[in-house]
Amino acid sequence: MGRVLSSDLLKIRRKGLWLLAVSGPFGIVALQALNFGIRYDYLTKKYADDLWGGLIENIALLVPVTVLAGVTLISSLIANVEHQTNSWKQLLALPVPRTAVFAAKFLLSVILLGVSCALLAWGTAALGVALGFGWDFPAVKILKISFLPFLASLPFLALLLWMSLTVRNQAAPVAIGLLAAVCSLFAGQLPEFVPLAWPLLAAGPPSGLRLAVGGGVLLGALILLVGAVHFERRDVD
Amino acid sequence: MSEWIIQTKDLCKSYRGRLAVDHVNLNIARGEIYGFLGPNGAGKTTTIRMLLGLIKPTRGSVEIFGKSLKREKLHILRKIGSLVEYPSYYGHLTAVENLEAIRRILDVPKTRIAQVLETVGLTKDAKRPVKGFSLGMKQRLGIAAALLGEPEMLILDEPTNGLDPSGILEIRELIKAMPKQHGITVLVSSHLLSEVEQMASTVGIIRQGRMVFQDTIESLRRQSEGSISVAVSEPEEALLALLRMGFRGKLENGRIALERTDDQSVARIVKALVEQNHAVYRVEEKRKSLEELFLQIVGEGGGA
Ligand SMILES: Nc1ncnc2c1ncn2[C@@H]1O[C@H](COP(=O)(O)OP(=O)(O)O)[C@@H](O)[C@H]1O
Ligand SMILES: [Mg+2]
Repeated sequence: MGRVLSSDLLKIRRKGLWLLAVSGPFGIVALQALNFGIRYDYLTKKYADDLWGGLIENIALLVPVTVLAGVTLISSLIANVEHQTNSWKQLLALPVPRTAVFAAKFLLSVILLGVSCALLAWGTAALGVALGFGWDFPAVKILKISFLPFLASLPFLALLLWMSLTVRNQAAPVAIGLLAAVCSLFAGQLPEFVPLAWPLLAAGPPSGLRLAVGGGVLLGALILLVGAVHFERRDVD
Repeated sequence: MSEWIIQTKDLCKSYRGRLAVDHVNLNIARGEIYGFLGPNGAGKTTTIRMLLGLIKPTRGSVEIFGKSLKREKLHILRKIGSLVEYPSYYGHLTAVENLEAIRRILDVPKTRIAQVLETVGLTKDAKRPVKGFSLGMKQRLGIAAALLGEPEMLILDEPTNGLDPSGILEIRELIKAMPKQHGITVLVSSHLLSEVEQMASTVGIIRQGRMVFQDTIESLRRQSEGSISVAVSEPEEALLALLRMGFRGKLENGRIALERTDDQSVARIVKALVEQNHAVYRVEEKRKSLEELFLQIVGEGGGA
């Protein structure tokens, strides 16, 4: 699978995927820079006893919707590299297990989105320091809000990637993904066992976090497995 | 039995209850160029997709290199290079990058890329994005990709479709060189006999999913050899007389058309006619072109 992944990394050159992976975290940090920049006095007073906590809370609010939108666009763009010129028949006639092809695409998405998460963590810390909140930033907390919502979104990544890879027309997976992203803004009202509530839960207090992350990883793995089995068996046109 | 590189047994594929490929028994021997012929929609691409494991047969089996495709797919695919229908390529990448993407999966030495580009004559355009290539160049890049893994067998589906005459010629020369220079067996499909007859040693003709002819090109040529046309004074009576003597024929445009007949038979026919006081005006041999024969085979049995 390493060989397929290395081939995939080459194929996404000049496709704007890395740019997309950078723009997500950049967007969140820029928005909060604007927010804190404009309302500096008001917000620093409001969060006076925990400046870093206030910043992290505001960042965390934007993470679920951004992660879900990112998951949607990245999986669709990755699939499109093969759909665009009908490369499936060439790729899948190579001596490589189809499950490896499927897994490599998933891993590529995880790498791209993982880079986004890391950049978000770095950007959050940098923003806080720039805003004068001091150097003693709560690293664990920052890493948690940066990475855990992504782990909680893995079921969506597995599902949307599976859909994107199997249907040529990307309208359906993109529409579903973006709808989920928008709905996740209001996910606070959903019961905790609904997967759509997980990305937001994962950015919140520890009570719901375990279910959100654990459920996300488990359900994600399950959907990935089912998707891989289907991808292995389907006819390629 | 000789060594078949590809052998299918009663291969079937049905779409919505209709057999797109109907009990096809393909036999391809080592080192030959096998022309797989049939009109559009006959089932060539569907058959080829099954040979490559891209789609699953509804019934029947495929053996390649003497092994079951179902059981040893990856092992078999390692020794096959393929180009199915219109070319696959990554338009935003250069020719070299396209080949590198495949090379990484095949795990062959980097030097192969320059070699195959040389083989298909794309060395000059190696560093250009493929989206700017002509169809002929894309098709040649596809062949380069198929050759990258040093295959023993090349499967090319309509590689000359949509090309201009010079493009067709280039591809044909390329294919012709494969068995001789590289020891590669080739399966090449086409809907035009003329594109295949100059390179293929064996042809299989498929019509509405069924194999209707499979033999050497010489055998096809022999079949196309002429019928005898005889112009006489009273054709109806003359034909009756000949039929009574055991010859087979029919009236065509007021002439007697007799099936392929050897010299002795022609002599007997003329003698008999003369003895029965028919005036024999002309005895002609009519040759069907290979193309006519192909169209006849493909059109035979009619029905939609
Ligand atoms: N995925 C599919 N679904 C339904 N019908 C198909 C599919 N693929 C091929 N067919 C049908 O199978 C028949 C053979 O098609 P094909 O193998 O592409 O022919 P050829 O390559 O000889 O032109 C056609 O009637 C075509 O419509
Ligand atoms: Mg075809």
